[in-house]
Amino acid sequence: MEPLTSNKSNSYLTFKLGEEQYAAHVDKVLNILEMSKLTHVPKAPEYMKGVMNLRGAVLPVIDARIKFGMEPTEYTSNTCIVVLDVDMDGDSVHVGAIVDSVQAVIEIKTEQILPLPTLGSRYKAEYIIGMAKLDERFIIILNMDAVFSADEITKLKIGADTTPIADELAAEETSAETATGEKTE
Amino acid sequence: MSKTILIVDDSESIREIIKFTLEAEGYNVLVGVDGKDALKFLDGQTIDLIITDLHMPEMDGIEFIKNVRANGNYTRIPILFLTTESQVAKKMEAKEAGATGWIIKPFVPAKLIAAINKVIR
Amino acid sequence: MDDFRTKFIEEATELIEKMEDALLKLEQAPDDENLIQLVFRVMHTLKGNSSMFGFEQIEKFTHNLENIYDMVRNQQLELSEEIINTTLACVDHLKNMLDESNYEDSDFMTTHNGLMAKILYIANPDANSMSNAGSPQPDAAGQNPTSSDEQATFYILFDPNDSIFANGTNPLYLLDELAELGQIKAYAHFNRLPEFEAYNTDLCYTYWEIFLSTDKEIDEINEVFIFVESDCKLDIQKISDVNILHNSKFIEEIEHIISTKNDVGIANALQLASRSTSQVKHAKAEVVKKERINTRDKNASSIRVSSDKLDSLMNLVSELVITQARLSLFDSQHDIHGLTPIVESVQKLSRQLRDLAFGIVLIPIENLITRFQRLVRDLSMELHKDVEFIAEGTDTELDKTIIDNLADPLMHILRNSLDHGIEDTNQRIARGKPAKGTVKFKAYYSGASVIIQISDDGKGMDPDTIREKAIQKGIIAPERKLTKKEIFDLIFLPGFSTATKVTDISGRGVGMDVVRKKIANIQGEVDVDSELGKGTTISIKLPLTLSIIDGLLVNINKTSYVIPLAAIKKIYAIDKDLIYKSFNNLITLDGEQIPFFSLRKEFDLPPSEEQLEQIVMVNFEDNYVGLVVDYVEGEYQAVLKPLGRHYKNNDIFSGATILGNGTVALVMDTNKIIKMFAHINH
Repeated sequence: MEPLTSNKSNSYLTFKLGEEQYAAHVDKVLNILEMSKLTHVPKAPEYMKGVMNLRGAVLPVIDARIKFGMEPTEYTSNTCIVVLDVDMDGDSVHVGAIVDSVQAVIEIKTEQILPLPTLGSRYKAEYIIGMAKLDERFIIILNMDAVFSADEITKLKIGADTTPIADELAAEETSAETATGEKTE
Repeated sequence: MSKTILIVDDSESIREIIKFTLEAEGYNVLVGVDGKDALKFLDGQTIDLIITDLHMPEMDGIEFIKNVRANGNYTRIPILFLTTESQVAKKMEAKEAGATGWIIKPFVPAKLIAAINKVIR
Repeated sequence: MDDFRTKFIEEATELIEKMEDALLKLEQAPDDENLIQLVFRVMHTLKGNSSMFGFEQIEKFTHNLENIYDMVRNQQLELSEEIINTTLACVDHLKNMLDESNYEDSDFMTTHNGLMAKILYIANPDANSMSNAGSPQPDAAGQNPTSSDEQATFYILFDPNDSIFANGTNPLYLLDELAELGQIKAYAHFNRLPEFEAYNTDLCYTYWEIFLSTDKEIDEINEVFIFVESDCKLDIQKISDVNILHNSKFIEEIEHIISTKNDVGIANALQLASRSTSQVKHAKAEVVKKERINTRDKNASSIRVSSDKLDSLMNLVSELVITQARLSLFDSQHDIHGLTPIVESVQKLSRQLRDLAFGIVLIPIENLITRFQRLVRDLSMELHKDVEFIAEGTDTELDKTIIDNLADPLMHILRNSLDHGIEDTNQRIARGKPAKGTVKFKAYYSGASVIIQISDDGKGMDPDTIREKAIQKGIIAPERKLTKKEIFDLIFLPGFSTATKVTDISGRGVGMDVVRKKIANIQGEVDVDSELGKGTTISIKLPLTLSIIDGLLVNINKTSYVIPLAAIKKIYAIDKDLIYKSFNNLITLDGEQIPFFSLRKEFDLPPSEEQLEQIVMVNFEDNYVGLVVDYVEGEYQAVLKPLGRHYKNNDIFSGATILGNGTVALVMDTNKIIKMFAHINH
């Protein structure tokens, strides 16, 4: 894996949940751990998978799939815990997020980040910073502070629509190809 | 090697001022808060002098002195007791229990040292 | 010396509080000899210490008080209510006397003289000694007469009893001390030494004749022998007005007598001295003077430490406790010769260190209680109400800063309880209540918090009245629906207090907003519950800033949990059929019906496959409730770590702790767990 701190301001960690690729700014990422034994906390919401010992501190761990309203899956050898430093009402709080797999640290220049397209009204804008297209794949850049400090399941889309966002974006792009193409250059 | 003195008094300020005075004179000081507490020091270690109050909770000074004398390791250790006034009866009682001498409160440090010099050198 | 005075003041304050406490108890049991002795002893100590540290006024004041209690304990004087009341007034006055700046205050001096007069009167009702009461007596102790520069020579016969060693006396030290007074010649006589076989090392067979030339008075020489006066034959006489020890002829003659193994004797000494005196020149002996001890603050008895450092200390201790748990686990899993004793001593040390570190920052709430007792006593007298004050759980410990900040709000709450809560005796009787009202103070640990409750059995609060008042004051809209709890919460609002303050008797709202604010300042929460006609309870919840708790490690579905030991009464083994067949969640243990909860069931876990389970009885309010677990693993020192903001809605666990094997175990808040499950099940 590439060092997490290369060119801080433009570096993003990408990870997968199901078919979707997401990115988190590396400033928010403290560590990436293999999936390990969690202590289940009874009576907690389902997405709160439990707590673990992170260098002597108790780290709450959230299953990102459940948190995003997706179907839970079995954990595999690729499953990872991304340790995040999120901002909750001005305080820095550590939380672990279980993701299907961690992909890479990539650079996304600010100008490569596109606002959500016209159908943005169907997304919960507070959770998504924007998207970027890399190697013909769409990556959704998440607002980690908002997603992981909310007390609820943070469905990224409004309603019961479960179409992968990337597919939708791809479809969207075809119709608006010329416009965006000119912008990104 | 400097001498070791055990102070037994339930009053912290008295303990502290005696300790301070004695340490300034170069003595090692052990401190017990009452007779019962002080007994723990009588484990065979070398103690050169005991200074004890008479009025204490748990185990009073007289009882403590008797305990010291009953301990084979300390039959000859000098014991000074602190007394607030020169109550003759109390003094005799303490001496009968095995005390060597006494120090009358209030005392100035010099008087304390003087009393100690009577019993250890 | 100032450091010691500060220390003295601290200690005197404690002594005075102790005395106050004893007096209040004595008031209930005037015949309790132990209490009388205690009061006497405390006064005695106070008197002795105050004279040591130059508080002469306190010394005189307590001297007279002590006399009274000396008479009481010797049954020469009956302990009357008047005496106790006066003593309590003196206790208050003594507190003020510790601040010497008060002496310039004329009111203070009036009180002082008044009390002095009263004490003297009690101690000696017949004497007409009131006239000079309180006026400080000039120091009677005379100055030492100026010591003469002239040296004189003394003859001293020092013949100790043979048993003198038994008191720890070493006669040689007395000779050393004499030598410090001037110039000496000491001759030991061994003529009483027995044959070797008869020699007893515990006996003293030696006696001495000593010649001392000194500029000191004979009293000072006597002083040297003060401890042994009763244990020896002693003769001290002046034989010359000059130092004759420089006279070689005199010495020669003395030594000649000694060499014949005879005593010199006073007669010979006088004769030889008078012969020699004319020939001696006056000489001054060098007197070795010990340097006076100068006060350095090196050994100050207490020091100030920044709270940051204490925090770091506590963190390190926490880490140590965790590491030690790992070590213990490692030891139990590996058979390494000689490791176990080391692990055990590390365990012992870390426990001691933990207790010590806690001792530095934690003090028992007991320190406040005397003040409360006093308040209740004084106020109930003032209000002509008969009130009993009961304190429970006073050994509960809290951070010192929290305790300091707790006194005022608690006093306020108590005052409210007495003033507005407890009814007049007549009213109480009319309502069929016991004539004597009760105010109860209770402190206990609950998970990572300490709860303090002050409850009274007074008239309670009427939610309707409060609601109306709040509407009148415009605090709430008339149409607003509020639960009982929400209504009671209104009394903590700033506007509400003034609303009832007008009458000052009708409500309980005086300054409760201030109470809440002060409690909030120390991260606490305050709650009120009341039942009309039955009484009111104010609960304060405070965070445990330091959180290492002694816990019991239990296992449920292969997961370890910690139950605080403080909450646990007993543990039973139990057949699981009894649990799953019980309809009403009641089980009979030791002949008592006990409600229980199966934690597997309540935690939504599958039933156990084992036939035997264990049931842990924990305190809940005034009863016990059983919590069923798979099995008990053992005791565990748990360093409490917060579960974090993500679990803020989950308060049935007060935190988590890290076990020796590195996994996390949750620490149960049994109160919350029971409340939650009791609620769900109904």
